Amino acid sequence: MERLGEKMQLSSVFQAGGLNYALISDTETNKTIISELPLTLSEEFGALLRGSGAKPGSPLVLEASGRVEGYGVFEFPYGPVSWGVPEAGAFSLMTYGERVLKVVPRLNFKKRGIERAVLGRTPEDALLFVERSAGNFSAAYSTCFAAAVEDSLGLEVPSEARWTRAVALELERIHNHLYVFGRLAEAASQNIAATQAHALRERVLRLNSRHFGHRYLFGINSIGGVSRGLPKDERRTLTTEVRLIGREFSELVQYFLSSRIFLDRLQGTAKLTRKDALGLGTVGPSARGSGVQWDDRLTFPLEPYEDIYVNLETEDGEDTMARTMVRVKEVESSTIALRELLDRMPSDGTKSGPHRRRADSLGAGFSFCRVESPSGDLIQAVQLDGGGRVGSLHVRPPSLVNWLPFARSLEGTVFTDFQFAFESFGLSFADSDR
Amino acid sequence: MWDMPKIWVFRGLKKGILTTAYPKSQPTSEEVPTASLPPRPTDAVDWSAGERGCPTGAIDSGGKRVDLGRCVYCRLCSSAGFTFDDGSGSRAGALQAGLTGRHAAGARRIFGRSLHVMMIDVGSCNACNLEVLNLSNPYYDLSRLGIAFTNSPKHADALIVVGALNPAMVDALKMTYESMPEPKLVLSVGACAISGGIFRSAEGFVSPVGDAIPVDVVVPGCPPSPVQILEGLLLAAGRLKETGAMR
Repeated sequence: MERLGEKMQLSSVFQAGGLNYALISDTETNKTIISELPLTLSEEFGALLRGSGAKPGSPLVLEASGRVEGYGVFEFPYGPVSWGVPEAGAFSLMTYGERVLKVVPRLNFKKRGIERAVLGRTPEDALLFVERSAGNFSAAYSTCFAAAVEDSLGLEVPSEARWTRAVALELERIHNHLYVFGRLAEAASQNIAATQAHALRERVLRLNSRHFGHRYLFGINSIGGVSRGLPKDERRTLTTEVRLIGREFSELVQYFLSSRIFLDRLQGTAKLTRKDALGLGTVGPSARGSGVQWDDRLTFPLEPYEDIYVNLETEDGEDTMARTMVRVKEVESSTIALRELLDRMPSDGTKSGPHRRRADSLGAGFSFCRVESPSGDLIQAVQLDGGGRVGSLHVRPPSLVNWLPFARSLEGTVFTDFQFAFESFGLSFADSDR
Repeated sequence: MWDMPKIWVFRGLKKGILTTAYPKSQPTSEEVPTASLPPRPTDAVDWSAGERGCPTGAIDSGGKRVDLGRCVYCRLCSSAGFTFDDGSGSRAGALQAGLTGRHAAGARRIFGRSLHVMMIDVGSCNACNLEVLNLSNPYYDLSRLGIAFTNSPKHADALIVVGALNPAMVDALKMTYESMPEPKLVLSVGACAISGGIFRSAEGFVSPVGDAIPVDVVVPGCPPSPVQILEGLLLAAGRLKETGAMR
């Protein structure tokens, strides 16, 4: 385990049958390893990964290594009511003049307690809660939960449903990446650029509502399938629309990349070294921007992802620019993946068994699943009780583990870089608090 | 090929007008998607045929009354015979914002054609927040109606509250409301803010927003689409007649 932090990343910790298990991602062999908890975790990191312990109303303060005090050091409280971050969450920014010395995220201002609220409910009812954990990652949440429950029950799921879920996941990725792009432009006061990016995102949302019945993809999944399939003629129109959106986005990116003012704000801003990215458990485009080779679509492939081509997009710039470019490239690779998904989606009613062979279920009735949400690796572990109701649910949201890397990346930068770092990590308080 | 100079203004002009015609005419089915249509009971409703019942208790046991403030638009009631779309393509019935009893008359005279709006999140899933932010994109462009977002309660005429009220946000919500200058309007946007929505049984839910501060307008939805939020804003500012037409 001495390699933890170099090649391996501790992704989550959860309890099953009275034992603590660690879920480890091996970035060298691309394997997910489950073992009994091998090491004593630092109090804070452990609390982060376990997560579900905190009660609503009690704050979770991520004070990684003490406070900074001294002459001229000023603690600037930011949030929970602010417009810069349009969500309820707060930070303590310790500054010396313009320089940021330390950032302490304060979470749980909006903890609804999803993990406790679903206990004793049927998986179908629990799905309504799970998909409302984070509205912008709803498809990832519901797909992850449904897949874990299906594994637990040993259900056979129509292949077509699994492919449809993947289409929803990719559309969700595109609209989230466009949001990040638009917000970055807003932060740089590139107002025309920002409205263009948001307009493009609105087109994706309308596409969602036309083909899946909901702008944020609520209610698309059910246990054992999807609530609404994609008929063949819809697949064709969706392919055309996606191609147009992809083309327009590439054009938009050309405009962005020709603006020196915009690039100057991104390049070299909020650096996160590869070592920190691994050691702090960073996930998603933020980790890939620091050269970490991990994408659940490739390293923990659920059904359609083994059959279609997805490129692992990484950058080694370690800064805001690198994280943004990973997202830009992912929009492009998602449009390519969507074309293939829609083109080759089976509709002959074949069914496939549970993913269990890959998901290494932990004994009877316990299973976990990993899904690459737009901001990174989402892990859920579900245990069903005897009556087929939810006995325990463990959620490890992507935003939760990205707070510490975000805080680390801001150390030593200046105050005005805050917005760029925040948006480029794609952080959501709703996601981390759940 | 010759590299065109990349000038945003030309690109913007080339795109034409994307903005919705609402409120001059009724919104289209693109602007208010089917998912935002409320369930309507028909004679064919047999609630006992539905397998699970209404998850938020929005529909009473007889299946005749729907409390939209509680509805999360999950459409599970379709199995019991509820319909959503009347097939006419008209979205007139989809605009659901409603005034509460305390909304003062004369808002039109007080606020005129200008309204400064602030949003506060008290425990949402982020979908309502994003729909409120979407109001400023070119498809909805609320600045054409003289409505602008502000980031301080001291400058705000109206407060949009989203999310299920969390114990950690009760004081923040009250302080924000108190620091707004009189006269002030409050909109409760989304099922979570109005009634707790799906989270009304969750630990992190204290009470409906209306129990903590006075609310003028409710906008049901999960999440309500931007046009529906816009309707709520216009209603709050006294710029809509009850029928939905521009005053």
